[in-house]
Amino acid sequence: MIADNLITDRGVTAGDDWITVDATGVRAALGGLRDQGYRLLVFLTCVDHLNDLSRPQWPGRYELVYQLRNMETREQLRVRVFPDGDPPRVESVHDLFGPANWDERETYDMFGVVFEGHPDLTRILMPDDWVGHPLRRDYPVGGEPVEFSEEHEMWLTPPPTA
Amino acid sequence: MTDTSTIGQGVTLTATGQQGAFGGELLTVNFGPHHPSTHGVLRLIVDLDGEQVRRLTPVIGYLHTGIEKQAEALRWQQAVVVTDRHDYLSPPFNNLSYALAVEKLLGVEVPPRAQALRVIMCELTRISSHLVWLGTSGIELGASTMLMYCFRERDTILNMNEEISGFRMHTSYIRPGGVMADATPRFLEMLDTFIRRMPGYVDEYEALLTMNPIFRSRTIGIGRLSAENAKVLGATGPMLRGSGVPWDLRKSMPYSGYENYDFQVATSDMCDCYGRYLVRIKEMRESVKILRQALDRLPDGPVNIDDRKVLPPPREELETSMEAVIHHFKLFTEGYSVPAGDAYAAVESGRGENGTYVVSDGTHKPRRVKFRSASFVNLQPLERLAMNHYVADLVAIIGSADTVLGDVDR
Repeated sequence: MIADNLITDRGVTAGDDWITVDATGVRAALGGLRDQGYRLLVFLTCVDHLNDLSRPQWPGRYELVYQLRNMETREQLRVRVFPDGDPPRVESVHDLFGPANWDERETYDMFGVVFEGHPDLTRILMPDDWVGHPLRRDYPVGGEPVEFSEEHEMWLTPPPTA
Repeated sequence: MTDTSTIGQGVTLTATGQQGAFGGELLTVNFGPHHPSTHGVLRLIVDLDGEQVRRLTPVIGYLHTGIEKQAEALRWQQAVVVTDRHDYLSPPFNNLSYALAVEKLLGVEVPPRAQALRVIMCELTRISSHLVWLGTSGIELGASTMLMYCFRERDTILNMNEEISGFRMHTSYIRPGGVMADATPRFLEMLDTFIRRMPGYVDEYEALLTMNPIFRSRTIGIGRLSAENAKVLGATGPMLRGSGVPWDLRKSMPYSGYENYDFQVATSDMCDCYGRYLVRIKEMRESVKILRQALDRLPDGPVNIDDRKVLPPPREELETSMEAVIHHFKLFTEGYSVPAGDAYAAVESGRGENGTYVVSDGTHKPRRVKFRSASFVNLQPLERLAMNHYVADLVAIIGSADTVLGDVDR
């Protein structure tokens, strides 16, 4: 197992093992886990816990989730990271795991999480000139003006809440 | 020429005026987004030296529809409908991974008949998804008859979809807690006919392509991906098995009762486009085997869990039972709540690992739904695969990766 001082919390939810690591130790923790055999990064994503009443004990609004898999032993491990700051910042792991490159770009695009050290941290799904990060919980659904629509005027102002 | 030896190297924009190996300047060409061979709307910025690819930048996002955002605005049972629509060629896989993740959080397991029906729908869809791939890839490589043959069988599968779920493509058949409805006798009859005929049809496809000299010369040695690279790049599905790695979630980490079926994992050591073709052809044959076993051993019993908080009561009960009316009303006005927590469930779709990661905050709507799509990951090694190949081979390589752009962009 990786150094215990990196792990701040651990548990099992719905049968899935998970650990929480400190935001400053992401590279050390994930690099250590990769060398142990967790060589496949299944996915990397972010969860926005804005006004989440179900888990007040968890630190931070943004939770980064790295799902790892050991293809020999078939073990899975979920690594949670709570990055600080606005925009939240965390070290990039693009050189440790192949799929992380596009996953990090997508997470940046959708949540505005900045991955330090990523070679090309640009928007991947949204247009390059897009303003805002759509999957944040305070970004409204349906706030996008519909062009060429008869109701164009009423769509010009986004609704006040999501 | 870019250095492609390091993994995860980000794609960069073209430097103009660079000299190619043949003495001329590199030419930057915009390939797509409306090119017919890009299987949707994929745009590639290709730097060409003569006719050889020296650098390739995929630009994606043209089919981004915000499905994950929409799912957050829907209730748990409504979100099934949007899961259909990201990988639009194989909706039951998306339904299944979502349903498995939600069932994991709810802590329920569906009855055996529902599991078998799920397997039947998934294997039918695997065949139909491979048929679309085979037909369109055939057209791109000059075998235009393939599409006619493949769509003939695909239409039979779509008819079966219609019979069992009422919808030909976006079936929404698999739902948390079970399936939409029991199989009709006519569906089982159609399935039996299909299983008896399909192996002969696969022979027909093979007769057209497997030993076809044009097809072979267009695919053998094109788009090589070694087993080690495929693992490092996170490729799954036929991309990984075409490189000789016997990794199939149905065998490696069984779900929905796949451990009870006898089938082989199709692999090929060719590591190229032809290898991926062989894997998909073999998978169609194995799927037919699974369908035969599932149909012969189809257990009796209910197709849904017996939980009125998650699934609506049967129509007949509504006329006699007040409780049923209350449950029905509650379910369709506010939905059900899922215990707080998060869960990830993955299934082996026709393209690779299609997974769903759901996060619940204890309310009747998901806090976050993340679709881990195989296409998004399998598209990343494209530059590595196409490097120093001709433009015409690029078309074969995009085809062999079998990406669905709706799945890439979600």
